[in-house]
Amino acid sequence: MTTDTHHHDHDHDHDHQHGPNPHHQDPKNVDTPPPGYYEIMEIAVRELLIEKKLIGPGEIRRQIEVLDSRTPALGAKVVARAWVDPEFKARLLANGRLACEREFGISFYDDTQLIVLENTDKIHNVVVCTLCSCYPRPVLGLPPDWYKAKPYRARVVKEPRAVLSEFGTEIPAEVEIRVNDSTAMLRYLVLPKRPVGTEDFSEEQLASLVTRDTMIGVVNVSLANKNTP
Amino acid sequence: MNSTANLVNRLPSDLGGLPAEPIQQIDHVLLPWEKRCHALADVLDFHKIINTEEKRRGVEQLGSEMVGKLTYYERWIVCFANLLFQKGLLTPEELALKMEEVEARHTTTPTA
Repeated sequence: MTTDTHHHDHDHDHDHQHGPNPHHQDPKNVDTPPPGYYEIMEIAVRELLIEKKLIGPGEIRRQIEVLDSRTPALGAKVVARAWVDPEFKARLLANGRLACEREFGISFYDDTQLIVLENTDKIHNVVVCTLCSCYPRPVLGLPPDWYKAKPYRARVVKEPRAVLSEFGTEIPAEVEIRVNDSTAMLRYLVLPKRPVGTEDFSEEQLASLVTRDTMIGVVNVSLANKNTP
Repeated sequence: MNSTANLVNRLPSDLGGLPAEPIQQIDHVLLPWEKRCHALADVLDFHKIINTEEKRRGVEQLGSEMVGKLTYYERWIVCFANLLFQKGLLTPEELALKMEEVEARHTTTPTA
């Protein structure tokens, strides 16, 4: 799936005839290419569902706002809190969803349970969904494309060390790797190891080290990470 | 083993453990319609019209050719349409007519 899409700087050499067109209520359409087959299907399904009152007219827009509000920065705050507050960590490991809801106000709009997996000196956790793309969306947002694509889903359960090394992550042979396969109702978040040398860091500074990929478990948190998307 | 046995014991989305290419660390920002499609999935789930597992199964039932050739959200929207037909909430005819209407809205006269 390629993505080079926003051609807003194209030459405006096409005809802008604003004649008696009854459908020019959306001025944005003047600049965007006509929708393709699947986008037309999406628009048609949505409009039919609204016409039939099966869904409300503003619900899609409101849910897009919810989706936009979920990014790995949320998960990073949870991880940093767990690093500095052992009692919170215990609650988080006991019931991930409850701890996120009660103590961070993170709503689990998809009605999933969250299991938080702690990485230690002996165990390294990594998360996958072999059957599709289940992911802890309430705390991390939407998954990256590679998480949804065949190579990661097929291989990480069979040869996790090889896959991790493709992410530049070498796990010592004496450390057990646990691959956790998500389901529709059950999602996983990795609580990565706090890096050495961060003893004096504030909770906020710690959160800035925690990236999306560290919470999927394909990389470790390092002082060089500095939150890049 | 029979040459078609793998079609029976491995459905298209059952990928765990299969040999595959190296990971390509690709990602993209969702197109506006893809994000709307994602929000639609959530809203359909809120209303108990289509849940996550039905969606996963619906994608699988598209068959290996469509699963292989359509993009992620293309599979989703086709799956939603099929499930809505199966549940009697939409008819194929209604969808076809609405798609014609949507397409006509965006049709512009080509310039010379």
